[in-house]
Amino acid sequence: MTRYVMVIDQRRCIGCHSCTIACRTWNELPLDIVYNPVLTEGIKGEWPHVHRNWLPTLCMHCDKPACVPCCPTGASQQDEDGTVWIDYDICMACLACVNACPYGMRDQSKLQPRLHRFVRKCTFCRDKRKMDPTSEPYCVATCHQKARIFGDLDDPESEVSKLLGSVESFRLLEDLGTEPQIYYIPDLGGRR
Amino acid sequence: MRHHYWEWPIPTYLFLGGLGGGIFCLSAILALIMYPSVAVVAEILAWPGFIAVCCLGLGCVFLIVDLGQPMVFYRAFIKSTSVLAWGARMLTICAIFGVLWFASYIPWEWFKPIADALVFFRPLLLGIAGVSGLGIMLYTGVFLSTLKAHAFWATPALPVLFTVSALSTACAAISLSMGWWPAQIPTAVYDMDSYAMAYLYVSAMEVCHEVLHVVDMILVVVEIIVLLVMVLSFLGAGNKTANRVAHKWVHGAYAGYFWIGMIAIGLVIPEFLYIFTAGSLGSTIIAPVMVLIGGLLLRFMVVNSDERAPLPGENLYYGRLVGDDAEFIHRWVYGENEY
Repeated sequence: MTRYVMVIDQRRCIGCHSCTIACRTWNELPLDIVYNPVLTEGIKGEWPHVHRNWLPTLCMHCDKPACVPCCPTGASQQDEDGTVWIDYDICMACLACVNACPYGMRDQSKLQPRLHRFVRKCTFCRDKRKMDPTSEPYCVATCHQKARIFGDLDDPESEVSKLLGSVESFRLLEDLGTEPQIYYIPDLGGRR
Repeated sequence: MRHHYWEWPIPTYLFLGGLGGGIFCLSAILALIMYPSVAVVAEILAWPGFIAVCCLGLGCVFLIVDLGQPMVFYRAFIKSTSVLAWGARMLTICAIFGVLWFASYIPWEWFKPIADALVFFRPLLLGIAGVSGLGIMLYTGVFLSTLKAHAFWATPALPVLFTVSALSTACAAISLSMGWWPAQIPTAVYDMDSYAMAYLYVSAMEVCHEVLHVVDMILVVVEIIVLLVMVLSFLGAGNKTANRVAHKWVHGAYAGYFWIGMIAIGLVIPEFLYIFTAGSLGSTIIAPVMVLIGGLLLRFMVVNSDERAPLPGENLYYGRLVGDDAEFIHRWVYGENEY
């Protein structure tokens, strides 16, 4: 089995937003949609020991996604490799999944024609991987600091498996029980 | 943090759907369980049934108009097993069987063959409409409470609150509209037969009013208890997000709507009118109207309280983005950025 996950190394991220730009450009997103915002935390601490963290985000491709079972049309789906995606041909944009996602990573573009809207989200660049199974999502490929690492968690030889086995990591809003599959390696200030 | 994804059509639908489902559910209880041998009870409930069908139809219109792709709403019926899909099915079943039940009472001459054909099936039609109406009342609250992203919705009290409120507003709507056309209440008494018939209708109306009056009194008390338990427990012991919403309700931006609109106008004053002015205008018209206003306000306040726990730095990020009204966003045309 394959289980795609992403590890985001906050120690390496410099908050350049390249991943956001790459995603928006390659996925041809409308202006009001961002799949992977890079959030800024801080400023934390007391002078002179102040620091700031960046928290690159994206759809968490949860093991138990809240957005899939609530979809009334079956447009919101999950592949066996864990990728959560939306079949745009079936989505009627009722926004049930948008309200179900605890991370706010789904939305519809209000700039699209009124009768042709659908809900969008990050798909780990599913269409790109379909053409070339060894390829990485655009945000990973573009990250010059190698802060985003993509791979198969079920493969013990993969970089993500080795990283997660060797350093401390955390996930966002774990207490909701959605089992998000985006792992963060914390920067200064440690685990939140 | 971005929220309020659902706009005014959704809370309006939640109100209308609950009201329509509640009317059919209560009508079924009154006509099939409490007074199955008194045919005029079902007849005087025919007009409330028509109101319920209108509520369900209008609710469906709001629901469909709010979709991003309204023309393909039928997809909700095709394959999913989600709560929302089952709700859509129950809504359709309730509306169809409700229309057929109401149609069996239409006294128009040209419509008589159809009405006569449906008369035999009246109990079955109302029974199915009543059961699916119960489903509609339940599913609206259950659906919101399954969205655990929103801490204020994710509580078992919400389905109870929505169901009780739907039943209460349905009691009010039936009280207001019972006995109108197509019930054939004699307007003048010529002989013993017409006198007996008029007496039967008036007695049935009085009995139904009495039952609904008592039931609504109890439901309003239950609603006050459930509402206060839900809001005050979040205020005292909820997580940070739910706590923030509860503060907004109790002494924040929504305090006026909550205490004056929902508690006072929607629940406490109608309860006093029901108790102390029984039989007068205050109890038969003013109190039910206030209950209906309270029910609508409840749906709006709950749907607008859709705060979710922000990710670290999320507020800052979205606060920096340009608003939807920025000129360059309006000039951008979908499709032109494709390569």
